[in-house]
Amino acid sequence: MAIRTTVTPARPRAVDGSLSRLLEAFGRVPVAAVIRRGEELPRALASQVPVVFFLRAPAFHLGPLVWAVQARGKLAFVHIDLIAGLGKDRAGIAFLAREIGVNGIITSHSGLVAAARAEKVIAVQRLLLYDDLALPSALSALDHARPDIVEVLPGVIFPLVVNEIRSRLPLPIIVGGFVTEPAHRDAALQRGALAISTSTTELWP
Amino acid sequence: MRTPGVLGVMLPAVRDGASLNQALDLGYRQVLLERGSLLALVGPLAGAARRGIAIFVNLDAVEGLAPDSAALAFLATDLGFSGVLSVKPHLLKDASRFRLRTIQRIHALDSTGLETGLHSLVSPSPYAIAIAPGVAIPEVMPIIRSITDTPVWGTGFISSAEQAGAVLHAGAALVSSARLEVWREFSRTPVS
Repeated sequence: MAIRTTVTPARPRAVDGSLSRLLEAFGRVPVAAVIRRGEELPRALASQVPVVFFLRAPAFHLGPLVWAVQARGKLAFVHIDLIAGLGKDRAGIAFLAREIGVNGIITSHSGLVAAARAEKVIAVQRLLLYDDLALPSALSALDHARPDIVEVLPGVIFPLVVNEIRSRLPLPIIVGGFVTEPAHRDAALQRGALAISTSTTELWP
Repeated sequence: MRTPGVLGVMLPAVRDGASLNQALDLGYRQVLLERGSLLALVGPLAGAARRGIAIFVNLDAVEGLAPDSAALAFLATDLGFSGVLSVKPHLLKDASRFRLRTIQRIHALDSTGLETGLHSLVSPSPYAIAIAPGVAIPEVMPIIRSITDTPVWGTGFISSAEQAGAVLHAGAALVSSARLEVWREFSRTPVS
């Protein structure tokens, strides 16, 4: 287990929840690298992507991975719903924020957005578009939770709903989910997405 | 199974008595109860099932039912429904004991989630897998077919006949839509 007493150097920086830094980074390169397995990380570190999203990582071995990202001047986000071993609650977010020092968390749950705010990390809330009948209630939940950023998935649905989302939520949007080709990326960015998130390494500049 | 299965490529998704009647008036012999209270519609749905209409229920979205054996027994034995949809493998296993057709719902939101869903396919093999959103099927069919040959249904965000056609062209066996205009388009195509 990677805690500060067993890892040198100690975590390189304090919690940096600065949303403006994230927006500025995406202004330069509008891509977040989605990391599903640790072995994918070196490629992201060597790329120009300013932001790394960790999915599925084991929580208690996450520290060195996050610190490696931050040592390159990039921002590290962790998907709290998917990582193993960590409670999906305030204590889990406090661990990520204070012990690991993540820049932000990603979640589908409105309840965790407030916890992220309390811990001063950026909250990215996922808008899961699997069913048009569920969209109005999903938008209401987001409107109520007010995350810093909305991540809309899957990318193929984004053009169909962008106007409805924008009319309800004045929030920056990241488009993810099956964004695997330059055409997908361009379609999202042209329709006003702040950035894309993708595990397709060919789309990491 | 003595209950009817699906016929043709369009499964109207209904949520209330009015949309149920619209689908039946267009000549459809099958409907999916996708939203709303099953208990508020139990009379009309049971009547339709007695007349040989195949009724499918999305157990994850309808109101009024517990996700348990008592609810499945009610759907299968009392109502004569044809099948159920759910993301929950344990519920589908239970449903197959009641001789309900099982349709495993799988969310196609990103590659990680899709692959996790496809690797959780129930045994015995489901009657079909329902990919949501169905509009993503042209993008994700190669991933699906690399893992399973189970028939694929598309549900969610299918709001035009063109979209429905593209999903079928990509290899889906059936599409479900909640839009009356789409039902109208497909009610004119002969049942294959």
